[in-house]
Amino acid sequence: MDSQQITTLTGVLDKKMNRQLKQYLDICARCAICKDACHQYVATGDFTYLPARRAELIRQIYKKYFTKAGEFVPALYEARDPDENLLDELYESTYACTGCRRCMYYCPFSIDTAWILSVAKAILIAAGRGNEMLGQLADASLFKSDNFEMFRDVIVSGFKDIEAELKELTGDPSAEIPVDKQGADILYVALAGAHSILPAAAIFHEAGASWTLSMFESANYGFFLGDVEKARKIADRFMDEAVRLGVKEVVITECGHAYRVANIFHEAWSGTKHPFKVRHILEVIDEYIKDGRLKVSRCIDVPVSYHDPCQVGRNGGIFEQPRDIVRALATDFRDMTPNREQQWCCGGGGGIVAISEMDAFRLKSGKKKVEQIKATGAKIVASPCENCRLQMEGLNETEDLGVRIAAIMDLVMECMDLPGRKQAAEGA
Amino acid sequence: MDTYLQITTVVGVYVAGVVFVAGMGWRIYQWATTPKSPVRLGMFPKPKTRGGRIMKMLKDTLIAPHSARIEPRMWLFAMMFHVAALAAFVGHLRLIQEYPVLPSLLGAEGMNAFAGWAGGIAGTLMMVAVLYWIARRTFGPFKQLSVPEDYLLLVLLLGVIIMGNHMRFIGHVHATDYREWFQSLLAFKPVIPDSIRFSNVGWSLGTHMLFVNALLIYFPFSKLVHTIGSFSANLVRSE
Amino acid sequence: MSDDIKVDLELDLKGLLCPLPMVRVSQNITNVPVGGVIRAVATDPGAMADIPAWAQSTGNEVLSAGKEGSEFVFLVKRIK
Ligand code: HEM
Ligand code: SF4
Ligand code: SF4
Repeated sequence: MDSQQITTLTGVLDKKMNRQLKQYLDICARCAICKDACHQYVATGDFTYLPARRAELIRQIYKKYFTKAGEFVPALYEARDPDENLLDELYESTYACTGCRRCMYYCPFSIDTAWILSVAKAILIAAGRGNEMLGQLADASLFKSDNFEMFRDVIVSGFKDIEAELKELTGDPSAEIPVDKQGADILYVALAGAHSILPAAAIFHEAGASWTLSMFESANYGFFLGDVEKARKIADRFMDEAVRLGVKEVVITECGHAYRVANIFHEAWSGTKHPFKVRHILEVIDEYIKDGRLKVSRCIDVPVSYHDPCQVGRNGGIFEQPRDIVRALATDFRDMTPNREQQWCCGGGGGIVAISEMDAFRLKSGKKKVEQIKATGAKIVASPCENCRLQMEGLNETEDLGVRIAAIMDLVMECMDLPGRKQAAEGA
Repeated sequence: MDTYLQITTVVGVYVAGVVFVAGMGWRIYQWATTPKSPVRLGMFPKPKTRGGRIMKMLKDTLIAPHSARIEPRMWLFAMMFHVAALAAFVGHLRLIQEYPVLPSLLGAEGMNAFAGWAGGIAGTLMMVAVLYWIARRTFGPFKQLSVPEDYLLLVLLLGVIIMGNHMRFIGHVHATDYREWFQSLLAFKPVIPDSIRFSNVGWSLGTHMLFVNALLIYFPFSKLVHTIGSFSANLVRSE
Repeated sequence: MSDDIKVDLELDLKGLLCPLPMVRVSQNITNVPVGGVIRAVATDPGAMADIPAWAQSTGNEVLSAGKEGSEFVFLVKRIK
C-alpha cells in the first residue's frame, strides 16, 4: 500500500473525526459484552461479525495515525495501516452490518458501533471499495432527480394508474392522488412502488386529509452506501419539495431508514432547520384511528405479531403506535420476546438485501428472528419496514414458517370498509 | 534496597503523578476541543428532561443494567472489581488524612482492624475479578478480540493488587507509618520511615508502587480513560 | 416492436417491489456479453422510471420500455 493511499484514507478519518467517535475509539474495553447482542455474530459465531471487532479495524488505524502511543508502540494496540487485508475484512464486516445498534443498547459505554462503521464506509468509498450495487442504486435515484423532466411524465402516469385503482377501491370517482398541491397539510413520501402509495391514498382519502404525494421516493441508498453527500441530496429532493409546497408536515411511508434519515439525520447533514414536522405514516394512522377519523373494524382473527424495525423502534422512537394500530385490527396480538428497544434485528437492514453476494449469509443471520416468530405462534407478522419484510419473507420461505408477512397499511386497508376492496385485492 | 525504594516510592511516584495528571488533562482537552457530531446519536426510549437524561446516564454508567442482562456473569465480576476498586481508592485516602469520625468511634485498634478487614475483602475481590478477566481472555472470541494492551493492563493491575494484598496480609506496618511516607511526598520532603524500611514489607511496598507507577503512567494512553469517557459516552445515548 | 432484437436473457420480475426490479437487472447485466440484451418484465410501475434511470447512470442503454397490459416490459442492452 503506497503512502499516498494511506494519506487519503487517514485523511477521511481525520475529516470524519468528532468527539463521540474519538471517545468510542479511545474507551472500548474490548470486553465483548456486545457479541451476543448482534444477530449476525450469534447466528454465525464468525469473529468478523463481532461488533467490537468491526470497530476494532478502524481503531487500529486510529491508534497508528492519531495517537502518539500507537505511533510509538503499535504492537501494543495491534495498530496498523489500512492495507488490503484490513480493507478486505472491513468491507465484509461493514457492509454486512445492518446498523441496528443492538450492540450499542447492551454496551456498558453505549458505544455506537454502527456510527464507527459509517466512517468505515467513507474510508471504503475513498479506497474505491464502496459497495457497487448500493452505489448504483444511489446514483439512479440522483439521476432521476437531476434529469427530472425526463422522468416526470412516466412517474405521473404511474400515479394516474394507481389513482384509477383508488377510485375503484373507494367507490368514489372523485378520489385522487394529488401531486404538486401547493398548501396541502401533508407531503407524503412513499417508495417508488405502488404498494406504498395505494393504501396510504385510501387512508388519507377516508380520513379526509389534505395531502399531496411526493414525486420522489424516500428510500435512500446513499445512506446505506455511506456517502453522506449523496444521502443528503437524495433526501433534499423531497425536503425541498416540502418547502416549496409549504406543507405543515412531511409524512414518511412505512420504511425504517427513510424515517430516520428524514427525522434525525437530514437536519444535521444539511445544517438547516425544517419548517415542518416529520412524522412516520403509522403515527398519523394511529392518530386518525384514535380520533375516529378513520373507521376500522377488528377484522383479523388469527394471531398477529409485530416486529419493530430497528430504525423505527430503537433508532426512531416509535414503539406504541404500530402496536395500537394492530390491536385495533386484530383480536389476538402477541408481542415477540424480547420486544421494543430490545427487539432482535431481523437481519434485513442497512441495504444488505440489495447485496446479492450476502444473500445466504443474510438469511442465516435471521436465526433469532425465526425463533422469535415461531415462539409467538402468530399467523401474521406485521412490520412497517420494506427491508424487514423482504428479509422475513425470505425467512418465511427458507424456514417454512407458514406465516404471512404484512405491511401494517395493508392490514389497515383490509379492515377498512372499502366498497371496491375485493376486486382490488384480487387484482393485486 | 534503599535505591529500589528511592526509585519506586519517591522518584517514580513523582514521575507517575506528573504523567498521569498531564496525560489525563491532555486526553480531556482533546475530547473537549473535538467538535461534537452534528448528528444526534441517541437511541430510544430516552428521557425527555435534562435531569432525566443525567439520571439515566448515571444509572447506565454505574450499574450498567443492559450489560447485566446480556452477560450476567461478566457483569458480576466487573461490578465486583469496580466497587472494590472504588473502596480501595477510598481506603487509600487515609494516606493523606485519617478519617474524621471513624477512629474515634472504633478506637485506634478497632480502626486498624476495620481497615484490615475492609481492605482485605476489597483486595481479594479485585484479585478474583482480575483473575477471572485474565482467564476469560484466554479462549474463543475473547482471546481473538484481545490485544496486548488488554493483557498488559490486567497484569499491571494484578501486580498492584497482589503486592497490596501481600502488604495487607503479611505486613505489620500500619497506616500511620505509610501516611508519614506519603505526606512527606506531598510536602516534597520525601522520607521513607525506618518502620517501613526495616520491616518485612519494605520491598513489597516498593514493588506495589512499581506496578502502581507503571499503571498510572500508562493509564492516560490506555482504554482505562473509560473512567471518564464512560460518563460522556453514556450521555450521548439519550441525546 | 422487439422482434428483430436478439434477447440473451429473460428476467421475470413480476411481483417484485421497487427497487428490486432495478436491483435484479443490475445484478444480471454481467450475465450477458457486452452488446447483449436483457428482456425484463416487471409489474411495479416504479420500475418505469427506475430501470431507465439506472441504465443511464451506469452507462447502459434501455432500447425500449413500455406497458403491455398490467406489465412493464424493458429491453436493456449492456454497453460496457
Ligand atoms: C467511574 C469509573 C469507572 C467506570 C464507570 C467503569 C466502568 C467500566 C465498565 C462498564 C467496564 C466494561 C465492561 C466490564 O468489564 O464489565 C469496565 C472495564 C474495565 N475497567 Fe472500568 N470503570 C471505571 C473505573 C475504572 C478504574 C479506575 C479502573 C482501573 C484502575 C478500571 C479498570 C477496568 C478494566 C481493566 C476493565 C476491563 C476489563 C477487561 O479486561 O475486560 N475501571 N469499566
Ligand atoms: S460492549 Fe462496548 S466496550 Fe465492550 S467490547 Fe463491545 S463496544 Fe467495546
Ligand atoms: S449495529 Fe447491529 S448488525 Fe451492526 S454490529 Fe451492531 S448489532 Fe451487529
